[in-house]
Amino acid sequence: MSPLRFCEWLSQTAFSTWLREAPYPFPVLLMIHVVTIALFGSMVVMGNLRVLGWAMRSVPVSEVIVQFRPWKWTAFVLLFVTGILIAASDPMEYYGNIMFWISNAVLVLAGINALIFYRGAYRTVASWDQADATPDGATRWAQISLILWILLIFAGRAIAFF
Amino acid sequence: MILDVLQGIPEALPKNPIARWESVFPVVESLHICGFTLLVGAVLILDFRMLGIFLRRQPVSQLAKDLSRWILAGLAIQLITGPYLFSGDPREYLQVTAFRMKMVFFALALIYHFTVIHKAAAPAADDAPLGWRRPAALLSLGLWLCVVVSGLWIGNL
Repeated sequence: MSPLRFCEWLSQTAFSTWLREAPYPFPVLLMIHVVTIALFGSMVVMGNLRVLGWAMRSVPVSEVIVQFRPWKWTAFVLLFVTGILIAASDPMEYYGNIMFWISNAVLVLAGINALIFYRGAYRTVASWDQADATPDGATRWAQISLILWILLIFAGRAIAFF
Repeated sequence: MILDVLQGIPEALPKNPIARWESVFPVVESLHICGFTLLVGAVLILDFRMLGIFLRRQPVSQLAKDLSRWILAGLAIQLITGPYLFSGDPREYLQVTAFRMKMVFFALALIYHFTVIHKAAAPAADDAPLGWRRPAALLSLGLWLCVVVSGLWIGNL
């Protein structure tokens, strides 16, 4: 089944119709999605700002990262599930929406960026944990991460505009 | 008086870009979401600390001091982008219940933050158990949640 056919099939299911047409599901999903962005975004942004040495310098980098981690994951799972349900409410609309695909691409890039950071620069965190200045290798990924998340906000908001 | 001035914005600013071009609104709104992430994000981290959820080894006052500049930066972005979004269609916004509620919650949340939370994060309280600061932080979270939800609802009505 092609992706387009899948979207056509999905949009005709009773579940998708219910998500789309019942008065409550969509606003509730959107509400949870955006409130969770606040939770997730705060941890991601403040975590990045800590790696850059711009915020919470009195807290060791690894402590910020380790303590935020369960909350980031919880928020991410919530974002992922509500995001999929929002997309399932009107698959044909999102399938044809360029901003939807750009948002998803930026999200994947942010994920890859995080993976590179944790597999690379973060492994030596013990040596720069308390320092004001973070090694260039680590700050680069934090900068890219911040830029990607800002891009994601713009692209995500633009989904509704296109 | 204030309402008259606000409602007169479209006449006072006939060339206001946000009222003229459709594409300005989502861009400014995206900046508004960035500012919101910074402001509410930093507040949320402080509230979570006061609830004893994380960063427990960190003195509350130290964390509050570290976060305050980000709270102020986020607030500055919101105080610029928010009124500008409003200036695009003041009469419409003033009629929307969710908008009025958001303004009330926003005022309450700010007053609460700079009085109660400010006091809760004072260095003198660092060595004492969290005690009353837990419910105080919970109320702060609740107030900011109301700001976010009513803000979202503006676009939904």
